[in-house]
Amino acid sequence: MSGITLDTVRKEFGDGEETVVAVEDVDLEIEDGEFLVLVGPSGCGKTTTLRCIAGLEDVTSGTITFGDRDVTDLRARDRDVAMVFQNYALYPHMNVRQNIGFGLKLSTRQTAAEIDRQVEDVAEMLGIEDLLEQKPKELSGGQQQRVALGRAIVRDPEVFLMDEPLSNLDAKLRSQMRTELQTLQHDLDVTTVYVTHDQTEAMAMGDRIAVMNGGTLQQVGSAEEVYRTPVNEFVADFIGSPSINVFDATVDGARLDGPGAFTYHLSDASPVAGLDTVRVGIRPEDITLVDDGIEMTANVLEPMGNENFLYATLGGQEITARIDPTKRPGTDETVSFSFPESALYLFDPDTGESLKTKRDGDVPDRNDAIPNREGAQSGTGTGSDADEEQIEEVVE
Amino acid sequence: MREETRREAVWQFLTYGFILLGAVVTLVPLYWIFVASTLEESEFLSSTDPTLIPGDSFFSNFQALQARDNVQFVGHVGEMTHYIDFGPFYVAYDFWNLWNMGAIESSIFVAGVYTILSLLLCSMAGFAFAKYEFRFKQPIFYAILATLILPIQLLVIPLFLLMSQIGLTNSYWAIILPWLANPLGIFLMRQNMRSIPDALLESARMDGATEFQLYYKIALPTMKSSLAALSIILFLFQWNLFLFPLVILDQGKYTIPVAINQLVGAQRVYYDQIMVAATLSIIPIFVLFLFLQKQFVSGILAGSVKE
Repeated sequence: MSGITLDTVRKEFGDGEETVVAVEDVDLEIEDGEFLVLVGPSGCGKTTTLRCIAGLEDVTSGTITFGDRDVTDLRARDRDVAMVFQNYALYPHMNVRQNIGFGLKLSTRQTAAEIDRQVEDVAEMLGIEDLLEQKPKELSGGQQQRVALGRAIVRDPEVFLMDEPLSNLDAKLRSQMRTELQTLQHDLDVTTVYVTHDQTEAMAMGDRIAVMNGGTLQQVGSAEEVYRTPVNEFVADFIGSPSINVFDATVDGARLDGPGAFTYHLSDASPVAGLDTVRVGIRPEDITLVDDGIEMTANVLEPMGNENFLYATLGGQEITARIDPTKRPGTDETVSFSFPESALYLFDPDTGESLKTKRDGDVPDRNDAIPNREGAQSGTGTGSDADEEQIEEVVE
Repeated sequence: MREETRREAVWQFLTYGFILLGAVVTLVPLYWIFVASTLEESEFLSSTDPTLIPGDSFFSNFQALQARDNVQFVGHVGEMTHYIDFGPFYVAYDFWNLWNMGAIESSIFVAGVYTILSLLLCSMAGFAFAKYEFRFKQPIFYAILATLILPIQLLVIPLFLLMSQIGLTNSYWAIILPWLANPLGIFLMRQNMRSIPDALLESARMDGATEFQLYYKIALPTMKSSLAALSIILFLFQWNLFLFPLVILDQGKYTIPVAINQLVGAQRVYYDQIMVAATLSIIPIFVLFLFLQKQFVSGILAGSVKE
């Protein structure tokens, strides 16, 4: 077992004029035993990054090390990594026992009996011991998923890689497997890199989250960090469901003038000093409906039971608000809202960088945020401290 | 009956009728060959009293075929001439003389060896073209495909010269080697191997498989049905080769098509013997087909990856 270090890893596809940069100079340090989630929209380079770590793609430049071992030029089979693929990639002509044991058969010198015993142990751990003699096509999606996991676990690798392993399961099974995967990773204590495009999954599962966009790493931090103190507008927009409301506002001293009736007086105008316009961000859950506030027109109400989602228009700008379930404004009804200044996000209109985030400097320790994770605690070190520093710099 | 249902029924009737017609057109000549092989030549060539009922002359026709001196159709026990003297025992070591091969054994041997070697070569080439990237991949592939348009007649003279230069005239290798890299086989294997999901191969790579193990532990087993189909194509191709074996082999080594050709004499065509030979030559193909039929199970890749 070991940590993973990516040092200015770059991956280009094609050559000459048609070069596409899939991963652009990514620096990333993953602690030993950590569960890191790579998240981002389609085509952001997260899967390519994972494939570079796996050894399925050569890097164009940069180095990848596992612990002290430089694996940049090693082939996948020499890296001691196991990967779970999105579509499971089970060997169709082998039964479950052979599927799980295939890697051991090829990469170790163990006897058939020893391999069999390990396969059975893993199958029992995953609750698929009754399926050992069946072929993949006879299994349900969830069972195939477990076989794919078993195939990775049985090899006891240094590093686990998972490429959207839950995306083919139905919603109920997905949340069940999500918990199981976390428990499993915790028990095995193997460094894991998990790729997903689903930010909810990322928030729920990762010790830390690495947000990628356009081939570059945007931010690495705990779920709390990337949610409360995103480094830029992209991260703020990508993390959180429903998405943050962002719109343009003109700056007049300490006053912000946005679309429609939006006017806001900042008590501390230092983040917007010297700017004519600014991008304003408000999370849906920070919006409260009040009797006297900023007016907007209600469009659609989605009752969720414990809360209501209100979709409204503010001078042509779509606003989403998460409101009290007792409040049920009708269509075209004018409602007033307000929000605390501490919850306000401000972004630079040109670079998108954060000027002010939620309760700056008040980032909770990630160990408080994610309890019961002994394996993760060793991973709080340099990475997140550096991020906090970076965020503070941005704020200043 | 509703108009639509009736039209459907008529359409179905026509479809089955057409298929039945196809089957009859294909099977009647085969049946007639079989019937003719069991009749005296004068009986089945009779213009006044044609028959489609089998007679009882098959064995006499066969004996006549075997008795010919210009062609050995089915082989016979050979005469071993090299012995080691162990006192009271003689032990023969010239096992290649155990059986004097006739045309049918030659054909089975040549087509069998050819099918196995060519399957190996075509599947390897197909795997490479389907799953690897290398320089000039497309041009090489199209060049291989382009050789499909070259007729064998065009190749006979250069091939003969080549074979005599490397000392393979009158050798079975001379009719096996030239077509080992079968363009049709390579094309078929490439098309089929493209359906193997990349994730399956990558998964095996992560599991520690070498590139060759990917080929024989993953690609080949998942391609069983295509391999079965291709082996029939390859076997038949070699089984039916006529011109080049005629040119390069001596009389003692003739394959079936060439041997049957020997039954067309200058004065007389031995139809009864031709019919026996033709009937016998169908049997190995028939057996091969029955044997491979159970391999034609489709959907072997089902359940490997979830789409």
